[in-house]
Formats: sequence, structure tokens, C-alpha cells
Amino acid sequence: MKTIEISGISKNYGQVPALRDISLEVNQGEIFGLIGPDGAGKTTLFRIMTTLMLADTGSGTICGMDIVRDYSRIRKIIGYMPGRFSLYQDLSVRENLEYFATLFGSTVGKNYDSIKEIYSQIEPFEKRRAGKLSGGMKQKLALCCALVHKPSVLFLDEPTTGVDAVSRSEFWKMLDRIRKSGVTVFVSTPYMDEASLCDRLAMIREGRIIGTGTPEQIISAYPYRLLSVAGGNMYPLLKILRNTEGVISCFSFGNALHLAYDPEKTGLPAILAKIRENGSEDCRIREITPGIEDCFMQLAGK
Amino acid sequence: MWKYLLEKEFKQFFRDPGLPKMALAFPVLMMLVFPFAVSMDIRNINLAVVDNCMSEESSRLIEKCTSSGYFRLVSHGHSADEAMKLMDENKADAIITVMPDFDRETVSGNGFPAGIKVNTVNGTKGSLGSQYILQCVRMYLAEKNQASGIQAVQYAEISEKYYFNPGMDYKLFMIPALIVIAITMITAFLPALNIVSEKEAGTIEQINVTPVSKTAFIVCKMIPYWAIAFFILTACLVIAWAVFGYVCRGNILWLYLFTVLDIIVMAGLGLLISNYSGNAQQAMFVIWFFAVIFMLMSGIFTPIASMPDWAECITYLNPMRYYADAMRAVFLKGSTPADLWYDIAGLAALGTIMVGLAISSYKKSE
Repeated sequence: MKTIEISGISKNYGQVPALRDISLEVNQGEIFGLIGPDGAGKTTLFRIMTTLMLADTGSGTICGMDIVRDYSRIRKIIGYMPGRFSLYQDLSVRENLEYFATLFGSTVGKNYDSIKEIYSQIEPFEKRRAGKLSGGMKQKLALCCALVHKPSVLFLDEPTTGVDAVSRSEFWKMLDRIRKSGVTVFVSTPYMDEASLCDRLAMIREGRIIGTGTPEQIISAYPYRLLSVAGGNMYPLLKILRNTEGVISCFSFGNALHLAYDPEKTGLPAILAKIRENGSEDCRIREITPGIEDCFMQLAGK
Repeated sequence: MWKYLLEKEFKQFFRDPGLPKMALAFPVLMMLVFPFAVSMDIRNINLAVVDNCMSEESSRLIEKCTSSGYFRLVSHGHSADEAMKLMDENKADAIITVMPDFDRETVSGNGFPAGIKVNTVNGTKGSLGSQYILQCVRMYLAEKNQASGIQAVQYAEISEKYYFNPGMDYKLFMIPALIVIAITMITAFLPALNIVSEKEAGTIEQINVTPVSKTAFIVCKMIPYWAIAFFILTACLVIAWAVFGYVCRGNILWLYLFTVLDIIVMAGLGLLISNYSGNAQQAMFVIWFFAVIFMLMSGIFTPIASMPDWAECITYLNPMRYYADAMRAVFLKGSTPADLWYDIAGLAALGTIMVGLAISSYKKSE
């Protein structure tokens, strides 16, 4: 049995479609990433899976329980950490934790083991009001509160948005440890670079799943060859390259251009010649393996 | 579970920098300051006299007015223009003009050659002011007739007796009404703001994914405010007794009974407001709207009977109308629920509608 299984989920906000025919399967004990830009429908999908909202069509189960019919049973076994920090700012760290433990009919003491590793980092500030914590500590507290009742599935909606790079990598290490304790983690993020840290992922855009699989599977399914072009006068170059025959796409990627070409229609020498022809002699060009973002752009462009 | 939910609400309440102080200061302020401030007794009406007669009779009339305690003589002269100017400058509220042949005419009983002008920019002050002047004139005439033994003028003395509030004391009249306002504000609007702020903070979403039922959560949010409402009611009654010596004429239990009914209506209203507001600002606007309508159309400040028919119809939808009426009747008159069955019926009907609407809209938002 899959831990999460949803099929054919659609949801409209009035006339605006938010989700269109979403189907996903998540295995027990894996970190499943939902990757997509802002407004892709990630939070809507979360709200449907965590029983906060009803889908217009489609069905789903979590640990075999129906997300509509068995919503009250599901709420006992899931942990949910919404995107925004949403704990009580005027209660202390310890009080927040105890409050959420009590809501699940448990106590902090009973489940201390499951949160010990994370909680020990904020324990010295136990008596401090949650509103007075730093961003990273707030996030740790929110994670503790979502874990304090030993959930089987943990839903994290954009947990790393607005968090600095160090805290982000630390956070993913924590997720790894949580996964090792047997909890299934369903996490969404707008950051493509976090995708490789997931066991499996689904890419979502404008309410549609455009690709799913392990990061390796997604990368190996990339159908084109990819070049990185850096230096020279980038913007005119970008326009020229986009109109070159055999070039599928060309996007600016930080300080370089990522150029995808169809090896059956053109080749490296032809593209090189085109660049030289336009007076961009000093370009550094090398062949690269695609990242998740390249795959996303390719799939999104389809 | 319930215990902990409640404990959290109380903790948050007492941790709030303003709320506990407000809950304490409110009844004290209300009982010690507001009864004087909202008093409808008009005193210190500025009176200008244009005395064209300058006789013994005219000065007796003026003395009658000034000694009544309601008037303050600001000018006593001959020029009508000057007096009018004073009124234009807002220095005089009323002008009495005494004609040159005042003494002769009044002594002979032929007429009363004096004019009264009253500034009615402030309606209450104007109408009460002219009544006071007329009363003074009446008193002057009565004395005069007695002194001279003239019975030619038909004269009937009218004396009023006020039931249930013998001294026509506005403080006594306002105290139950102020309790009504305070309790309505606290039980309807503060919980609404509290729920909306949980929405704003996103915490309500976090609670919704827990096995805690929404009902338990909301009820626990309201209980502290109910406790405060009863605290304020009790504190107000104690202060009214200790400071002013007013005691409730009826059974105090009935005050609490009507308060419970009002709280049910207000809880429904508060929840309804919070269901339709996404943030505190929206909620504040709606609250403001209701608060003003409730107060002005409740009969607390102006009698409902003097409103036009259509406005009177609107007051039937106002829970504060029934609550204020009942509280005043129990406090001043000693009425029992049997006497006030219509107030009970009104509150019960509104309560059923409000709570019903609140619950159905609440379920929809799920």
C-alpha cells in the first residue's frame, strides 16, 4: 500500500483552475518533493491532502484512509507545517509545544524521543516567547510542534522559503533524520536546487503535474544536449541563439546562458560558428549535464 | 483537552499588554465617569437679557430665571443687536427680551410682553432650555398672582411625580444602560477580533489539522470573554451600590439571566463577523457599523417611541433594544421575567437566528 495515493484531483477557485487532474503516489518512508513556482497550486494541493479543503473532483487516501470520509482519523496521524510561521507568538517555546501535544491527546514527555534531536537545539530558549525567536529557531519550533505527536506523515509547505542558505541545508539534514525514523515526508519548495535532496519528486506548474520520478530519472529523461555559454554581450547573444536552427531553448541562468539543442539537427561546431560570427569571441562554452531546473524549463515549455 | 484549550486562552488574555487592564478599568471608568458625562440634565444655559423696561417687575422675572440654577446670566442690557451678536458668537444660548411696558401690562393682567429666543443648534439644549424658561415664567406669574390676589387668569398648577426614578436622576437611568453597552462590546466584538487574529496569524489552520473539533476551539475562545462580562456586571453593581448607593430594585438574578441571553445573541454575531472577515481591519469596520447602530437604535440615549415608525421597526432587530429595556426595568422598576416576556422572546428569537446563521456559515467555510 502506498502511503499517499491521490488520483484525478481538480480544484477551481471560481473560474480560475488551481489544480487540474493531479495524481500522485508516495511510498512509505521517503521524502517526496513537490517542486514548482509560486502560484503553481502547491498550497492548494497541501490543503486538500491535509483535509482542510475539499477537491472538486478526484479522490485520495493517506495511509489507506480516505481524505474526505476519514478526515478525522487522518488528522490524528499527520503533522502539518504551513508555509507561514503560525504558532502562538505570545506563548513560550515550551507552551507552544505542550499546547500542540495536548491537542493530539498526548504530552511532550511521552514523545520527547521523537523530537529530542531538533528540540535540544532550542531547549535553552524554552521560556522565551515564540515571537521573539530568530527565523531559524522559529522554523525548528514549528517542526517540533508538527512532530510532537509522532505523525506517520509529515506535510511541510515551503518550509525553507525565506530561510538563509545555511539554515536551509541544516533543515534538509533534519528532514533526512526524520525520514530515517520512518516518517514519510511530503515537502514542497519553489527552490529547484532542493529537488536533488528528495527521494522522489513531482514538478507542478499551473496546476498540472509536468513530471515525476527520482531526480536521476528526471535528469536522464532530458531529451536534448545542453551547453553553458558565459561571457560576451549576453542579451544580444541570447536573441541570436534563440533564432539559430536546431536550438530548442536558450535561457539566462545566473551569469551564463543554458542552451539546449537537438543533436539530430545541429551540433556543437555549428553553434560555435554562430557565436563567433556574431563577434562574441571570448565566450566560454562547455557541455553540461542538465539540472532539475533545466528539466523543469524543458517540461514546462512543452 | 478542554482544560488546556481554556488555559491557553486565559494565558494569552493575561499576557496581552492591554486587555486585562482594560477589563479592570472599564467598569470603574464606566461607573465613576460616564454617568456624569452622559447626563442629560442641562445646566449652565447662557442667558442674555434685553431689558427695555428696567422696572421692579422685570428684574423679578430675571431673578426668577437666574435663581433656578439652570441659567447663567451673561449679559443684561438694552440692545437687542448686542444680545443677538452674543448668540451668534455662541456666548448666549437664550435671549429674553422684555418690552418697555412690561410692568404695566403684567400688573394689569392684560398680557405678557416679553419674547424668548433660543439657540437650537444643539437640539437637546435648545428644547430643554426653552422649557426651563417657560417654567420660570410660569413660576413668576404664579407668585405674582398669589401676591396680588388676582384670580382672573385661569391657572392650574401641574406637578410631576416620577415613578421608579423619583429624582429623575440621570445617573441612575444610565447605569444599567452602560452595563448593557459594555457587555455587548465585550462579548460580541472582542471574541470576533480574537478569532480573526488567529486567522491572520495562520494558527487557526494549524489547529484545523488537529483532531480538536472546531466547536470546542471556538467555545473555548469565547468563555474567557463571558467570564469577563460577568465580572464587569458584578463590578458595576458593586460600584453602583458602594459609590452611589443605588441598589437593583428587582432580583439581581434576573440581571444575570438577561445577560446570559444577550451573550448568546452576541456570541452568534461575533462568530458571524469573524466568519466573513479575513483580517482584523475588515472585522473592525463591520464591528463599528453594528456598534453604532446598536447603540443609537437601542433606546439607551433617545426613546424608541419618539423614532419614526420605520426606524422603530428596525429597532426590533436590535438585540440591545431588548437587553437595555430589560436591564433598566429590572434595575429601576424591579420587573420579573414574567413582566418582560417580550424582551425574552426578542432575545431568544434573535439568538436562534444569529447562532443558526453563524453555524451554517461556519460550516461552509470548512
